[in-house]
Amino acid sequence: MTQAAPAGKADREIPGTLAQYSPEDGCFDEWVTADAEPRPHYARLIHELDRLGPEELHRREETGRRIIHEQGITYNVYGDPKGMERPWRLDPIPLLIGSEEWRGIEGALRQRATLINAILADCYGAQDLIRSGWLPPALVFGQADFLRAAHSARPPGDTHLHFYAADLARSPDGRWWVVSDRTQIPTGAGYALANRLVTSRILPEAFRDCQVQRLAGFFREVQASLAALGSRRTDNPRVVLLTPGPYNETYFEQAYLARYLGYAMVEGQDLTVRDDRVFLKTLSGLEPVDVILRRVDDDFCDPLELRNDSMLGVPGLMEAVRAGSVTVANALGSGLLQSAAFMSFLPGLCRHLLGEDLRMPSVASWWCGQKSAETYVLEHLEDLFIKPAFRPHRRGPEPSQPASAADYEVLRRRISFQPHLWVAQERVRLSTAPAWTGKGISPRPVGLRVYVIATPSGYRVMPGGLSRLVPEPGGRFISMQRGGASKDTWVLSDAPVDEVSLLHRAGAAVELRRVGNNLPSRMADNFFWLGRYSERADATARLLRSTLLRFNPESTGSALPLITPLLDTLEMQGQLPLAAEHPERRLNPESLEAELLGAIFNPRQAGSLRAIADQLERLGMLVRDRTSNDLWRVVSQLNDKLTLPADSPPLLAGDAIGLLSQTLLHLASFHGLARENMTRAQGWRFLDLGQRIERAAYLGTFLDAALHSPEADNPSVLEAVLEVADSAITYRSRYNLLPEMAAVYDLVLLDDTNPRSLLFQLLQMEKHFARLPRERDGALPSPAHRILIRILSEARLMDPRDLHRAAAGAWHATTTGETLRRIRADLPRLSDALSASYFAHSAISRAGSG
Amino acid sequence: MRYQILHRTRYLYAAPVRESFNEVRLKPVTNADQTVESFLLKVLPACPLRHYEDFYANWIHHFEIPEVHSTLLIEANTRVSTHSRSLALDATPASMERLAECARMERCFDYLLPTRYVDLDPATWRLALDITAGQTDIWQSAVALMRWVYGNVSYTPQSTTVHTRMSEVLSLRQGVCQDLAHVLIGLCRSIKIPALYVSGYLATERASATHAWIEVFLPGVGWQPLDPTHNGTADDTYVKIAVGRDYADVTPVRGHYKGTQDRRMEVEVSIQPLDPA
Repeated sequence: MTQAAPAGKADREIPGTLAQYSPEDGCFDEWVTADAEPRPHYARLIHELDRLGPEELHRREETGRRIIHEQGITYNVYGDPKGMERPWRLDPIPLLIGSEEWRGIEGALRQRATLINAILADCYGAQDLIRSGWLPPALVFGQADFLRAAHSARPPGDTHLHFYAADLARSPDGRWWVVSDRTQIPTGAGYALANRLVTSRILPEAFRDCQVQRLAGFFREVQASLAALGSRRTDNPRVVLLTPGPYNETYFEQAYLARYLGYAMVEGQDLTVRDDRVFLKTLSGLEPVDVILRRVDDDFCDPLELRNDSMLGVPGLMEAVRAGSVTVANALGSGLLQSAAFMSFLPGLCRHLLGEDLRMPSVASWWCGQKSAETYVLEHLEDLFIKPAFRPHRRGPEPSQPASAADYEVLRRRISFQPHLWVAQERVRLSTAPAWTGKGISPRPVGLRVYVIATPSGYRVMPGGLSRLVPEPGGRFISMQRGGASKDTWVLSDAPVDEVSLLHRAGAAVELRRVGNNLPSRMADNFFWLGRYSERADATARLLRSTLLRFNPESTGSALPLITPLLDTLEMQGQLPLAAEHPERRLNPESLEAELLGAIFNPRQAGSLRAIADQLERLGMLVRDRTSNDLWRVVSQLNDKLTLPADSPPLLAGDAIGLLSQTLLHLASFHGLARENMTRAQGWRFLDLGQRIERAAYLGTFLDAALHSPEADNPSVLEAVLEVADSAITYRSRYNLLPEMAAVYDLVLLDDTNPRSLLFQLLQMEKHFARLPRERDGALPSPAHRILIRILSEARLMDPRDLHRAAAGAWHATTTGETLRRIRADLPRLSDALSASYFAHSAISRAGSG
Repeated sequence: MRYQILHRTRYLYAAPVRESFNEVRLKPVTNADQTVESFLLKVLPACPLRHYEDFYANWIHHFEIPEVHSTLLIEANTRVSTHSRSLALDATPASMERLAECARMERCFDYLLPTRYVDLDPATWRLALDITAGQTDIWQSAVALMRWVYGNVSYTPQSTTVHTRMSEVLSLRQGVCQDLAHVLIGLCRSIKIPALYVSGYLATERASATHAWIEVFLPGVGWQPLDPTHNGTADDTYVKIAVGRDYADVTPVRGHYKGTQDRRMEVEVSIQPLDPA
């Protein structure tokens, strides 16, 4: 790259926003020329920023931050305990690219994608390029990214590269260069879309005035192109997005894209292969999959033929690809061309394969597998950026550059021993763009990632992209992992732009539907457990609150029998350690209080409320792309609430009671949102089933414990029963007297108008079972349903009046007591049977539907 | 020679497993040295079999068993005739200078790299240089390396596992045929002689007829076998099944299933000479 003339810092008076803006010498600045004149295509934006002024801009940035928070736009950082769910950082000022300049970038990238695809097709096919000496064998065979299993598996249309992205940088002379090629899984298009959403809302006036090209048209092409890849003759090919799961750094983006494009988001275990076809496991059986948009690295996609340590893939996928029944985008093996070692070969290959010159240069690269390059690199080691030529098998931290003379010596020897493993690149000086620093606008180095999609009529470029800033003024590395911010990218149009949206297409009438796409079994499983854990949290908080309210350090001895049923229940549910092992602990008020507080706040105690909240948050994350953002926020806030700051003073029982009440309110809003905001589809049904089973189970456990208490007819114990079952008000409105045993047990066991009663839970479950997918088809009830039918009829035949007649202390031996115990034992069996028939797919025969 | 070969593998799972996906490399290749007259693969539970040729031109059968099962039987019956024509051990067909050609050939480069079980480190390189000091011919260098392996790494059954790396074998100085082959491959590759791994049967070993040896590439001649376990080349008692960069590429049976880790594998291999056809 050549140096531009040093930028003359203008001493002239510059109005408004530009006054404080002074780019570094020798850099290209996107906003102003070397003479500190604003570039023409920025005129409207600068005018608008001047009009707003710094205070308003600050306010708009705050608004942007709020939208990001509300939309839940996040980025996961590896190796950082707080790294999960880091909010996405967006600079409010977009990067602008004029239409003329864009046409150049667009043409160059279409050419480059075409070229890379042709090279991939050769490497995974005839290998003429290697045979005739255009590519050295080491460059292809030396890479772990060359997947031998994918050789000769020809994808439809010989398209290996469906999605492609290029990282661009602008040199001081104003030319764009390709810094890296992304051919494995080009990430970030979803973030670019999210950036657009936020920036167009915080700068609506500028967005309108600047004639910005819209992104929606590009994504519509993505939909059409992926749908066209299906091999099955169907109007409605099924495209799924294969994700590595919620712990991946770009999980948010994957969920966002899947939602925007209307694809089911699946993990490897949701898919299975039967007779060379890929199927999605759903509640109603196996459904064929035509196209897989993968966000899993290709070598992880099939544990049978590729990396056998992969937990993310689908065994048999490679063979299904070979059979041509499913298309994977990008094709398995596409990561090969991501290596910077290919860059120095592209100009020659472009002339050889396409008969034209490469339109946009790559940053100067030397692959040491060639003798001349190796010699050059070893001579200029200090001036170059050295990196491994090929992707390492395991993801590690980004390589640090050598610092001392000894480091260089080590590097020199490693290069000489296996030169083909190393590549050197020229150190890139990035251009700068205006960035909001919180107070004013300053230049920061910027890089641009641009996205390309293969369509049936050739490659198309997304008019926009993901601009990323280097956090520190003189920095060189762009890395979201290191906390860089991003920018929206506005590609300007010569003419007013048309509105396009993915949500409604002109012309075609929408077919009305009452059911969504079939729910994957794994999701149903997650919803079921989300229901169970949310109810478990509710029950635990209620039990703990009732216990603490009755807990009196002064008279532990005398009060103990009254709270024993509560303590026993907490013990059985795992919140308290077993009393049988340490009977003295219950008698000592201090240790009991400490244990009760531990049952609330200790994250390491398996059954504690805090540990349950952790589980809830984990499950909430797993179903996040299928629930409202509000639901997710409630779940994640619950955990924050129960997390005590490390330096907080020891809590008193009184404080804990307040916190438990808040927790219960929080859970009520969770259940309210679930009830009011989720359609009555399968997801909701399993959530509610989980909740009902859990509520019935803890009620059964608690009532059984209460009946075993020698004080079971004590009004205080009965009061606790009503409180834990949240039925005290109802009782008072009906009976207007001190709690009486038969009446209390009738209300909490058998009153089918009381939404907290045992019978009510069972009746709700029965309603759900009647509408479960495969329950309707079979002639006989399923194993789970049979258990429910038995429990239900036993419950209906209960008569709590026998408690009234029983001798004191023998309540648990009555028919009511016995029945209750049987129901308690049957509920876990019901849960297991439900899992076995709906989540495990163990019973599927190879002739399964599809 | 003509042989009838039975290769039976049986997996017994402690608890029923399901969704089993498998690929097997059991059908010997047909080439100038051997002809497969018949091949029959039987799998129980019965399921459709598909096959394709992999990157190394090996024959691969692929099958899946989605339903629950507690045993898996894979039985290959092969009838093959062999006609050996290997190079004399004292031949000098290609001088060491011609090694540079190999690195440029697309079908050789793969066999010059470190792989899963074969390490190429400076220590191995020094060792190989010492062993081949004074040699001017590629074949003679490879033969010298084979003699060194035969003399210095003892054949000891059960001393290693199928996942033992070549570097460990070098420090243990003992192993089975698979390990000896890996060591010889590593030594050859570290001085840039292309070397590949061969899995097959050896008719003289009635007890455990499965065997492993290597082939090295000689410009102008082609791939030539060397067996470090028996200190010689391969004659017509050797039946070649598959080739690859190392054992990982030629695993006879490879599978993936859902269910218990607790399983037992029984392998039975027999090779019988037949009358000439």
